[in-house]
Amino acid sequence: MNKLTFHYFHLMPWPYLPADFDEKYDSAWVTLPNSIYDPIKGNALYNRYLDEIERADRLGWDSVIVNEHHQNAYGTMPSPNLMAAALTQRVKRAKIGIVGNALPLHDDPLRVAEEIAMLDVLSGGRIISGFVRGTGMEYFSYNINPTISRERMDEAHDLIIQAWTRPGPFAFEGEHYNYRYVNIWPRPIQQPPPIWLPGTASMETIDFAAKHKYPYMTVFMPMNQRQRAYDIYRQLAEEKYGYEAQPEQLAFCVPCYIAENDDIAMREAEQYIMWLFDKGLKVRPQFFVPPGYMSERSLKGMLEGGGFGQKRRFKELIETGVIIVGSVDTVIEKLSYYTDVLHAGMLVTGGHVGEIPDYLVLKTQELMAKEVMPHFRDKSVATQTDQPVVTLP
Amino acid sequence: MKSDEASDIAVSVDKVERTLNVRGIQTHIFEAGSPATAPLLYLHGTFLGNLWLEFHNILAQNFHVFAPDIPGFGLTERPNWMRDMSDYILYLHDLLDTLGLRKTIIVGHSIGGWMAAEFAIWYPERVDKLVLSNAAGIRVKGSPIANLFAMSPQEIAMASFDNLAAAMPLMPKEFNTDYLLSQYRQLTTLATLAWNPTYDPTLERRLERINSPTLIVWGQNDRLIPQVYGETLHRLIDHSELIQLEGTGHMPMFEKPAEWCSIIREFLHK
Repeated sequence: MNKLTFHYFHLMPWPYLPADFDEKYDSAWVTLPNSIYDPIKGNALYNRYLDEIERADRLGWDSVIVNEHHQNAYGTMPSPNLMAAALTQRVKRAKIGIVGNALPLHDDPLRVAEEIAMLDVLSGGRIISGFVRGTGMEYFSYNINPTISRERMDEAHDLIIQAWTRPGPFAFEGEHYNYRYVNIWPRPIQQPPPIWLPGTASMETIDFAAKHKYPYMTVFMPMNQRQRAYDIYRQLAEEKYGYEAQPEQLAFCVPCYIAENDDIAMREAEQYIMWLFDKGLKVRPQFFVPPGYMSERSLKGMLEGGGFGQKRRFKELIETGVIIVGSVDTVIEKLSYYTDVLHAGMLVTGGHVGEIPDYLVLKTQELMAKEVMPHFRDKSVATQTDQPVVTLP
Repeated sequence: MKSDEASDIAVSVDKVERTLNVRGIQTHIFEAGSPATAPLLYLHGTFLGNLWLEFHNILAQNFHVFAPDIPGFGLTERPNWMRDMSDYILYLHDLLDTLGLRKTIIVGHSIGGWMAAEFAIWYPERVDKLVLSNAAGIRVKGSPIANLFAMSPQEIAMASFDNLAAAMPLMPKEFNTDYLLSQYRQLTTLATLAWNPTYDPTLERRLERINSPTLIVWGQNDRLIPQVYGETLHRLIDHSELIQLEGTGHMPMFEKPAEWCSIIREFLHK
């Protein structure tokens, strides 16, 4: 079995921020004026991003992944299911992940169930369905009450799983969602499509993932926090839910940049990767944690861990394991720490950050696919980069 | 009356502080003033529970003042099921029963003003007279109230006070995690009630049901709930009078306690 699977993650950022962005705007989210977005440039950008994802498929990545964010420059996919639909026509082999749909933001989660089912049928059963709560910022953008976010998440999850797997019609009677007739057409091929849960280490999300045996994905976190999250997941799995967590349940989303050697990689990557942290993730602190969005326990952990609002430099991001930058050998060594020490088995990373030119994205994609991936692949199973991962009868 | 005169009066009041069981909700409450005077229930705004200040003292000179911490604020915990304004109205009804008050004056500020107005709509027979100060609750199209949820503590203070020195009673002894969590908990209560919408669209139609004499007193420079809200409440509530207080904003009872109390006392003694 492969020690590590590779998942190509795209945020589809809007990199063209004005020169005075740092001084003039306190947030790339919620309130950044949308006059900054140019739809004509946006057309070229969307197509370039789709080309890039299509290339990842041809290069042998196990899946390609899109996600949902609203009213911001960090990621311009308010409807990730639309992007996934486009990808079903371009990506011929890899799985297609939507990681994820932000369930509590939607007043009608049945629509999410329907769209994922459509995508699963359209793609021949290749859909990975991530569920997220959405960032704090999204609760401002969609004006959804953050105090009921987790309840809506849990309930929408239950509804969607039932909609996919239970013969309809049936009634669903929840606190937040009510349907007299749940009876989706079409139904998904997969029963159900695999679910992933990304998180930023709140206990509640880890517990939810461990309970359902869903892969838990740590996002942009320092290594010590990732380790803690995996330890908690494994412990919950074993002690509370009675099973042993496997590496394919532990995913890590890490921006990676690979070049000919460490020096070149460091030199080339800094400005682009720092766009992500200094600009894309520039957020008014109040938007980040709206009231009731986190439990007091999780907020206390965050406040005491100092993991809030601190600005980190490039080298520090590398040293703490938030990002991976270096030569092929360096990247293999760092990924081996995940596989061999943390026993985490899914790498989620993309090449595109900030205004990075496409040839540098291609370089990281190719070095990852041709030099890094083989190191982690099971030698007994030949990787078929031209064959679909799912074969329909 | 000048505020220094008010301070002289204020020192003499003895208050009682206790915890009442209001249908299972352990309610922290201050009480002061002579039981021979008219009862007055004071409903505070967000972040303003567990306080006994000069304005309470002045009011207690002439009234039997009850100042509870509304659930989710101050020292009164909010049970998780308590999420809707209707839960708070039922709670206030229970509170009056627990206090043995058949009928009372209600003075409400900000979110507490919203609760006071709602209560007067649903239980007019329990309200003697009503005072709304810089109260939330209604919608005034084109003039949304400030978004407290998007503001930093400093921005909230700057927008609330004209005179920051008056904010001293709100300064924590220590700026630590417990303080931040307590602020978060209170803001969560506010969000539970008023994240979306930040008003009750039915109030506009229902306010005419208020039949008790009503005073609307507004700090003129209110930057959180602009004075057009006071004017609109005045228009919608029969038998209401509107007094705008100069030189103060959202927190007139902090900044101009003597004037604010004197306006209220004059109205209540009519």
